[in-house]
Amino acid sequence: MVELDYDIVIVGGGGAGLYAALWAAENTILKVAVMTKVYPTRSHTGAAEGGINAVLTHSVGDSPEAHAYDTVKGSDFLADQDAVDIMCKMGAAVIYDIAHRGVPFSRRPDGRIAQRPFGGASFPRTCYAADKTGFYILQTLYEQCLKNNVTFLNEWFLLSIIHNGEKVEGITAWDIRNGGVHLIKTKAVILATGGHARVYWNRTSNALGNTGDGTAAALRAGLPLKDMEFIQFHPTGLAKTGILVTEGARGEGGYLRNKDGERFMKRYAPEKMELAPRDIVARAIQTEIDEGRGCGPNGDYICLDLTHLGEEKINERLPQTREHAILYEGVDPVKEPIPIAPTAHYSMGGIDADKFGRTPIKGLYAAGECACISVHGANRLGGNSLLDVLVYGRLTALEAVKYADEAPETNPSVAKAKDDEKRILELMEADGKEKVADLRRELGNVMMKHFGVFREEKSMKEGLEKIMEIKERAKHVKVYDTSKKFNTDLITALEFLNLVDLAPAIAVPAIERKESRGAHARKDYPKRDDKNFLKHSVIKRKEDGTYELSWKPVTITKFPPEERKY
Amino acid sequence: METAVLQVFRYDPEKDQAPYYKEYEVPVEGTLLNALLYIKDNLDPTLAFRAFCRSEVCGSCSMKVNGKTKLACKTPMKELVETWKGKPLRIEPLNHMKVIKDLVVDIDKPIEKMKTLIPWLVPDPRVVPTDPMHESIIYPEEMEAYKDQIHCMLCFSCYSACEAVADNERYRGPFAFSKAYRFQVDRRDIETAKEKRIRYAISGGLWSCVQCQKCLYVCPKGVKPAEDIQNLRGQAVKKGFTDKPGAKKLKHFVDWIYATGQINRLYLPEEVYGNKEAREKLTKAYTEMGVEVWEVPKPTKGLMKFRDIYLEILSKEDKALDLDYSHVRKIDKMVSDIFKADICTIVDKAHEEGRSSRGLISKLKGLLGGQ
Ligand code: SF4
Ligand code: SF4
Ligand code: FES
Repeated sequence: MVELDYDIVIVGGGGAGLYAALWAAENTILKVAVMTKVYPTRSHTGAAEGGINAVLTHSVGDSPEAHAYDTVKGSDFLADQDAVDIMCKMGAAVIYDIAHRGVPFSRRPDGRIAQRPFGGASFPRTCYAADKTGFYILQTLYEQCLKNNVTFLNEWFLLSIIHNGEKVEGITAWDIRNGGVHLIKTKAVILATGGHARVYWNRTSNALGNTGDGTAAALRAGLPLKDMEFIQFHPTGLAKTGILVTEGARGEGGYLRNKDGERFMKRYAPEKMELAPRDIVARAIQTEIDEGRGCGPNGDYICLDLTHLGEEKINERLPQTREHAILYEGVDPVKEPIPIAPTAHYSMGGIDADKFGRTPIKGLYAAGECACISVHGANRLGGNSLLDVLVYGRLTALEAVKYADEAPETNPSVAKAKDDEKRILELMEADGKEKVADLRRELGNVMMKHFGVFREEKSMKEGLEKIMEIKERAKHVKVYDTSKKFNTDLITALEFLNLVDLAPAIAVPAIERKESRGAHARKDYPKRDDKNFLKHSVIKRKEDGTYELSWKPVTITKFPPEERKY
Repeated sequence: METAVLQVFRYDPEKDQAPYYKEYEVPVEGTLLNALLYIKDNLDPTLAFRAFCRSEVCGSCSMKVNGKTKLACKTPMKELVETWKGKPLRIEPLNHMKVIKDLVVDIDKPIEKMKTLIPWLVPDPRVVPTDPMHESIIYPEEMEAYKDQIHCMLCFSCYSACEAVADNERYRGPFAFSKAYRFQVDRRDIETAKEKRIRYAISGGLWSCVQCQKCLYVCPKGVKPAEDIQNLRGQAVKKGFTDKPGAKKLKHFVDWIYATGQINRLYLPEEVYGNKEAREKLTKAYTEMGVEVWEVPKPTKGLMKFRDIYLEILSKEDKALDLDYSHVRKIDKMVSDIFKADICTIVDKAHEEGRSSRGLISKLKGLLGGQ
């Protein structure tokens, strides 16, 4: 068992991880390493198209305060307002910083960074770089990390977090390329492992690997997760794969139609029609499907009709949409409507962290989608995730540097690593009565059916039972590939087991939150209930494997809760 | 359901003596990536390949299909079956990189190579404010210069297809030059960094590219490394990095064509490789064979007009500075000495003799990299 020794280990090489690495590298001589299960530029930050919100010096009439208000309102008042305040105030600083490092933001004719309007924002404050904002940010941050000679452990998979109940001592990880469990000694750990919407395996816009590895490891290490019931559904995912059809398709004038060809949005948002906020459109689509007005042989999707836009406009404005529809759905939007349905898109919940990204364990931080700070509350605004990623990547880096500078050497025991080794061996020797692919599909279906766009007590309780059943059956999955090198069979199984650990953490608070707020829409409690539920859910896993739910107050500073109307 | 047979390259260096191919029957549905995931989920969980975003942005999944470089998540199975008319599809890992297992190759080396070309912005403090709250102004037009290069997603398709990589260990790879060039044309990047990039590009094989254009054809993101390499070469020449044979060759072509309308094969070995005997040997050999040789080509009608046009072409390509006038004057002097008159008179004489210079310009355009 090889031992590696660092001062700060950043787990995850996406936007948050790389920005943290950069700020750590530039501000300390401590030994910093980024550990990531894929090469950094593969990370899912690269798929973020829309943009990044920030009030810039030339945003006339706008203010960080207005941005904060929009964010809090969008969050359905569940966001912690002190954290939102920090994030919105740092907006301009991070935008200029990454622009100075080379991010090719789209510019106005006068050479300043261009901004456009985005859902839920009262001013046009979304900075963008064509329709590949996240991609350019990721590439630029990677370049800058190379420039700063950041140490990368590429293709390493996080197994466990080691702490002594008070402070973090190290982690264990699997070296994918060569095989083998490693004990990594470190004073500080920043978890930046991304979201877990892959729990909804069959219907998600997420990359194949967004399996909440850091969140699950934190849960297993006894750390609290917060607001896990909140999962954002994007209204238009391709029916077969869940791959995203950009909001632009509706922006350019696309219609949503049910099986009778009716533009049903007129019944849900008569004024805004197809351009109503994401959650409203997602719910409208789901209602149509649930009430038997879905299209196709199984009535399980809705049609996004672009045919009236004409080939020229589609080619010019929505080339990617056309390409993806043909490629993944076998439908040419010039001739036929695109089958779409809501798709799991973003996890608002995650590792419980405070406004500086600190967890209850000293030296352990969380940033980006895996964290719940919370700046998104019950519903995230478009353009706020990239901002969150950068602001908290940077803040946690500075916190970790400050901490690791003074923290004493740690002394992690090898027990965890031995355990992990055993766990992996057992997976290879299991009876194989169950197959990962089957269980993963089943879990995805259960989550979508019982914890999807709409939720309801009876159905959720059934769902939780099914989840627990799948969790039981998961003990029988087998890893068939026994080789050490690049064993993707093993990784697939570990990822699935992470998802299985996270599913109850979503289900339990979802059942107990007896109200509708943001992305959590309950049929049996259709109203928001500030009296009883203006609070964060906190879930922990106990030693015996059971899940324990508690609640925690929301920080409210400037904006008292009001009805969320658009 | 329609199916197709994939013959997938399998190799686990730990277990297998040699690579082998395994056949899998997969549904013709969705993309090649879907087919591979189908194999992994249903037929053989031990197959190793990389994939992440499944929507053409992360660059994980490039591989070869019947020898052609493809991005698995961008390649419809239907198209493959139609192209190869139902023949089995041979799926192999990319070239020029060590196989770690099955379709997974070691990409550390190309990344290391790229790193030597400073593929990052080195801000010029006169352009990029050091005050983090001060915006640096960039006009939309400026960004045109690097609008293609920034799409590179490090998929290494071009690296796999490149002839120069095959020939020259040191060759940095098409994408690496594109990544470097992106900063060469960014106003915010400091001049000293630009100089260094050129120097490192030259020692990284800038002149080894054979301009086969394969990189440009295989790139799934519309990056055009072959063009960027030409432009880097131009920059190298302009910056005076003319001590490499490639640069000298270019200089020889540009100068001789300008001066006489033709390249000079007799002088080429001497000017490019410093081989002083070649000229005499060649002259002797040609004479023995009874081929008429001129030490310098006889100027033709319209040469002066041609010079104007040629200069215009070069200026349009922003290459006018590539012309080395002292060299041209030397050639002029040679011409004058040999023909015992100054160059204008000779041209006039040629005119009187009624010789035609037609076809020269089109030939020249051909010589100038096909533009
Ligand atoms: S044009 Fe040059 S860089 Fe491109 S593939 Fe050919 S040899 Fe390689
Ligand atoms: S230039 Fe194109 S082919 Fe080459 S690595 Fe970049 S994206 Fe891939
Ligand atoms: S899986 Fe990301 S490019 Fe193919």
